Amino acid sequence: MMNRYALFLGCTTPTRVPQYELSARWICKRLGIELVDIEDFVCCGANQINISIEAGLLLSAMNLAYAEAQDLDIVTLCAACFGVLAEAAEKLKNEEVREGVNRKLSKIGLEYHGKTKVKHISRVIYEDVGLDGIRKAAKRDLSKLRAAPHYGCHYLKPRSVSEGFDEPDNPKTLHQLISATGAKPIEYETLDYCCGGKAFPVSEDLAHSLVAKKLDNLRDREVDCMVLQCQTCYLMYGAQQEKVSKKFNKQYSIPVLLYPQLLGLAMGADPVAHLGLNLNMPLVDRLLDKIG
Amino acid sequence: MKLHSEPVRTAELDPNFKFEVMSHEAARDVTACFSCGTCTAGCPIHEIFPEYDPRKMARMVNLGMRKRVLSSPYIWYCATCHTCEEHCPQNVKFFNVLNVLKNMAAKEGYAPPSWVNQTKQVMKTGIVFATEEAWIKKREELSLRPLKGDGKEAAKLIQLTDVDKIEPRAQS
Repeated sequence: MMNRYALFLGCTTPTRVPQYELSARWICKRLGIELVDIEDFVCCGANQINISIEAGLLLSAMNLAYAEAQDLDIVTLCAACFGVLAEAAEKLKNEEVREGVNRKLSKIGLEYHGKTKVKHISRVIYEDVGLDGIRKAAKRDLSKLRAAPHYGCHYLKPRSVSEGFDEPDNPKTLHQLISATGAKPIEYETLDYCCGGKAFPVSEDLAHSLVAKKLDNLRDREVDCMVLQCQTCYLMYGAQQEKVSKKFNKQYSIPVLLYPQLLGLAMGADPVAHLGLNLNMPLVDRLLDKIG
Repeated sequence: MKLHSEPVRTAELDPNFKFEVMSHEAARDVTACFSCGTCTAGCPIHEIFPEYDPRKMARMVNLGMRKRVLSSPYIWYCATCHTCEEHCPQNVKFFNVLNVLKNMAAKEGYAPPSWVNQTKQVMKTGIVFATEEAWIKKREELSLRPLKGDGKEAAKLIQLTDVDKIEPRAQS
């Protein structure tokens, strides 16, 4: 099953940030990672947990069962889908919990046996392709780029689901993934700040204030871009950036890339046709000019 | 109603509240909280909005301040970053405790419309935004596969939890 995964798109990426999906498919195809589409996948359950933990778990279990039926592990693009599905997979290793869930799943003709593993796309690239593999695949010179990594809370936490893959309080993997493309990952004070995406539907002001804290820090550090690995973080730091600028009377202009877009650039992809970089907000023209 | 700043009236306290919360597996450690405030110190929402305070919320649960906790709009402000539970020296999973509180509040009609509506949408289309025309077109342009946009099976499944009966709080 190595290198072959069910691609879990989630809700937001395929509809709001399709450039993440486009670029992830492009790089995976060239790095020997086969992505299988499962049409029946539904929402991961992350937001249902707010009003019903049980409903959230059932949605997660439904998705895990669809992947298991095809003998596939899941790779997610979204950090929250990863966190929630991996946590559910962990819970459902308990036979009693699984039996309870299966009684309900049987009403829609499904059964889950506890086999599906869930990984985030960055971990799959890190482990299956490896940092050396990335270095070999990188053709275009990105050494002029100063990139600020942003991990995304659910990529790292809760600690139990990432199985020691990275360290929540002092994460390294995205720094290394960026370095392997040739770009320069920077250190900065607000590295562990949350994007506020999950607070956004309840309070835009709160979420925007969180975004501003990190953008203030990054503006002072003169970065060429942020690089992140979750479409919700992208929406908050990228798509919302202009709104946040206006709200707090700032002049932010920090391009925001999803990691597969950065890796794709290094691999020589066409920025528009293969990576959808024309869809990113703020515009990335200056960044593309810089790498030439 | 303010979460804090009003006197605690013993007549309003519900001594069973904490047991009700703890009866949910996810929140069974809430009484282990000794109010050290490590959760609050690391909370990104608290940093910008000090009234949002995990330590105080845990204390209020343990004191039995049922109505004030469940009716508070603040319990919905969590950004779900998990930092509180990551740092808790008592291993209280406050993120989970908060979810249990939100679930209880939702049953009593306090849920914000955004979360209730998202669940209704998932029951229609399987994912949250599947039917928006502009995005269907954009996917076609990018030669990305069409989305199924069918929530029938998901709806059948989660109706078993009565989540479909939850109504949002009136917009203020």
